[in-house]
Amino acid sequence: MGQALQSARNDDEKRGDFAEATLPHLGALYRFAAKLTGNAATAEDLVQETYLKALQAFPSLRDPGRAKAWLFQILSRLVVDRHRSEVREVPTADEDLDRFSLYDLIWEEDPLPYSDRLHDDFLAQFRDEEVRAALMALPEVYRVPLVLLYAEGMTYKELAEVLECPMGTVMSRLHRGRKTLERELWECARRRGLVKTWKRR
Amino acid sequence: MKPLTCEEASRQLFALLDRALAGEALDALEGHLEACLDCCEKLEFNRKLDGFVKERLSDSALPEALEHRIRRLTSR
Repeated sequence: MGQALQSARNDDEKRGDFAEATLPHLGALYRFAAKLTGNAATAEDLVQETYLKALQAFPSLRDPGRAKAWLFQILSRLVVDRHRSEVREVPTADEDLDRFSLYDLIWEEDPLPYSDRLHDDFLAQFRDEEVRAALMALPEVYRVPLVLLYAEGMTYKELAEVLECPMGTVMSRLHRGRKTLERELWECARRRGLVKTWKRR
Repeated sequence: MKPLTCEEASRQLFALLDRALAGEALDALEGHLEACLDCCEKLEFNRKLDGFVKERLSDSALPEALEHRIRRLTSR
């Protein structure tokens, strides 16, 4: 009986410590999930699953000061792993993508010949939902670091910790993520007839 | 230090925007940008595009029901 009581007390203490370390980051985690998925219901499910996993793994968190990065790490891993097992593999080398430049294409195609602020005016034509859709079209392995950078302002070192990869990998995923986003925007412009031709580079 | 080509410079523009360059790499890129208007304009466009996308990532308030569920989970 005494042992059972002690065990219940330990469990209460563990949950208390877990709550203290993680609840201050709940709002930030949800905002990140919502930006990452573009869907409130999916974001809620992800956050709940993250907290369930985090509660189980809490004894392995040695430094409660790392709780925020740790929660973001669990959620990011959930998103990348889930989609990796479904459809999207880590994209392989794509020289066309690495060389793609929206800036250059806008110059070459000159979609707004009367504009004296060509690049600004080109971007101004996109609707907010089109920009969000372009971001959502990125493979998760690129979208996760890009949203962490944009929404949380993380440094490459922090991103490397959250994504559990070397800084060089962070740099390359951010580069390719941005290039893919540029290409998605260009394709969106082409579908809407904002540009007349399509040159794959 | 060998000067950068435009292609080499353009591969590092994002890292410059993200304040992830230091030392010789930063010096080399800044040296190139001082002499290359095209790469400067590309950098400026990349900066604008980042801001353009960021502005469209709207903040969402934490749903009360979710907060309630998580608090229950942590106090059970």
